[in-house]
Amino acid sequence: MTTPMPGAGSPLEDANTAGSLMLPDSDVTTPDAAVPVSRRRSGGFADVWRRYRRNRLAVVGLVIVVGLAVVAVLEPVITPYDPFEQNLLNTTAPPSADHWFGTDVLGRDLYSGIVYGTRLAMLVGLLTVFCSLVIGVTLGALAGFKGGAWDAVVSRVVDVFLAFPLLLGAILIVQAVGGGVVSVVAALVALGWMTTARLARGQVLALREAEYVEAARSIGAGNGRIVVRHILPNAIAPVLVYAFTNIGVVVVAMASLSYLGIGVPADVPEWGRLINQAAPFLQVPGKTHLWLAPAAAIVLTTLGFAFVADGLRDALDPRLRGS
Amino acid sequence: MGRFVLRRSAQAVLVVVAATFLIFLATFALGDPFASTGEKVVPPAIAAANRAKFGLDQPLVVQFLTYLGNIARFDFGVDFDQGRPVSQMLLETVPNTVRLALVAIVIDVLIGVTAGVIAAVRRYSVWDVVVTVLSTVGIGVPTFVIGIVLVANVAGWGPFPTVPRSFTVQVPWYQEVLLPAITLAAIDAAFIARLMRGSLLEVLRADYVRTARAKGLSERAVIGRHAMRNAMIPVVTYAGVSLGVLFGGAVITETIFQYNGVGYLLSRAIANSNAPVLIAVVVFGVVAFVFLSLLVDILYAVLDPRIRLS
Repeated sequence: MTTPMPGAGSPLEDANTAGSLMLPDSDVTTPDAAVPVSRRRSGGFADVWRRYRRNRLAVVGLVIVVGLAVVAVLEPVITPYDPFEQNLLNTTAPPSADHWFGTDVLGRDLYSGIVYGTRLAMLVGLLTVFCSLVIGVTLGALAGFKGGAWDAVVSRVVDVFLAFPLLLGAILIVQAVGGGVVSVVAALVALGWMTTARLARGQVLALREAEYVEAARSIGAGNGRIVVRHILPNAIAPVLVYAFTNIGVVVVAMASLSYLGIGVPADVPEWGRLINQAAPFLQVPGKTHLWLAPAAAIVLTTLGFAFVADGLRDALDPRLRGS
Repeated sequence: MGRFVLRRSAQAVLVVVAATFLIFLATFALGDPFASTGEKVVPPAIAAANRAKFGLDQPLVVQFLTYLGNIARFDFGVDFDQGRPVSQMLLETVPNTVRLALVAIVIDVLIGVTAGVIAAVRRYSVWDVVVTVLSTVGIGVPTFVIGIVLVANVAGWGPFPTVPRSFTVQVPWYQEVLLPAITLAAIDAAFIARLMRGSLLEVLRADYVRTARAKGLSERAVIGRHAMRNAMIPVVTYAGVSLGVLFGGAVITETIFQYNGVGYLLSRAIANSNAPVLIAVVVFGVVAFVFLSLLVDILYAVLDPRIRLS
């Protein structure tokens, strides 16, 4: 779709008056424009995938992430018990055939709880990262493209929000807004968009003067079209890699908040909350499953996303290899 | 250089004031301390008198400026629980947190730099693979989990005090600080090892390193005296920022080990809805973080002259 445009536009209009002159010109432009486009079309994804596959940890990470996603989607089907159903006559029971991971402090089936927690963690992680991405890219692109006052204001706001250490800021916001999953997401988005904005701003700033952007402008493309169709597709790679790294950070932040007893409601089997409830049993022999199951779930998630982010960085930007 | 320091300092002060304003706004959402809630009934006349006494009837700007002035004089009000000055609670806990942060940073820089240098110098060797895999895994494991595992398996054994803490047994500070410091150091050490490896590998490709080798310097001198100076810059930056976060209180780690720092103070304040303490710790954390970032920036400019010129 984009291939014929640069070649086709001008020769057709001017063909009557300067037909012979246009011929060498279009000969030069067509291969120039066609080569990168066709390479991206046919080899782009395969190329990235080939480089990604070389990193064994990244492949392991991908398997983990896909596994977690499947567990999260199938949660209602694969939980043998209601994850919220308490049985105070059968608390902290060790793993058995009935309860694969045992039961927790409130007598809930721990396996079902962990699976439910997976769904919650994936949902909050993806939602938070997606919202941060939208806000960060929008503000960053505005600052980078418009410059001037836009840039000054956005950059100062970024500075102020970056002054909050993640957990401290999140605690304050969740306490101020009130509990619940939504306020956790809001808090983590409020403190999660700045780096994305900075990355996007830097990328847009660098690409704003690129030759192909100038070309697009010269054929009359508007600002909106230039940013969305020409600059962002080329600027998005580092932003996406950062977003992937951040999913693990978000999952840990939510678990940290619930470990402190705020955010997610107390009766929800969230991983951090499960660890919080297991705290008195940390050194009790035979009760290891209480904290080991949620801790393992958190580690698996953060490792999975960290490995994928690592592999993506190597695969998308070969220059950064080895660093 | 003087102008750079001045400009950056002014920026930092403005950022702290703006951040404090956000915190100030958030306090309104934490609830009205003079409202009637549950069994506590406050007659309107008394509520109004209290509001006037604490200046809550003043315009917002006046309230904020008063608040800023109080903070500047290290006055954070009294806590809801026992009516003690919050500044005194900070004075009791901040030294512990600073000590923990410093011990943790020393441990992670020592381990991280050593591992990173070995991995870079012996690139593609078994050591390199071990360091790379360990650091990749280390970055992925949250502090949270490391702390829990240490409490479950190590606390109460050898020199490490038990958790939950016994209030009758006095433990010297260096024993107390050990496990939380190791917990905090684990991830940063992994990150620094990775950073060190990458940055040293890059520097080792530079022309001046080739020159140093060509003039016959020993490998030890090439790496120790020439390459390391530049390769350390990102590590110094990272360690400084990390220290800034730790000074503000390692909330989770201190809570897990019941270590008497600002982080644990905060988690107790959350547990009994002690808003003045909560706000004070957040303000303190922001100030510590911004101030350390400022120091890092200045240090960075000293180490790398290109920065202050741009």
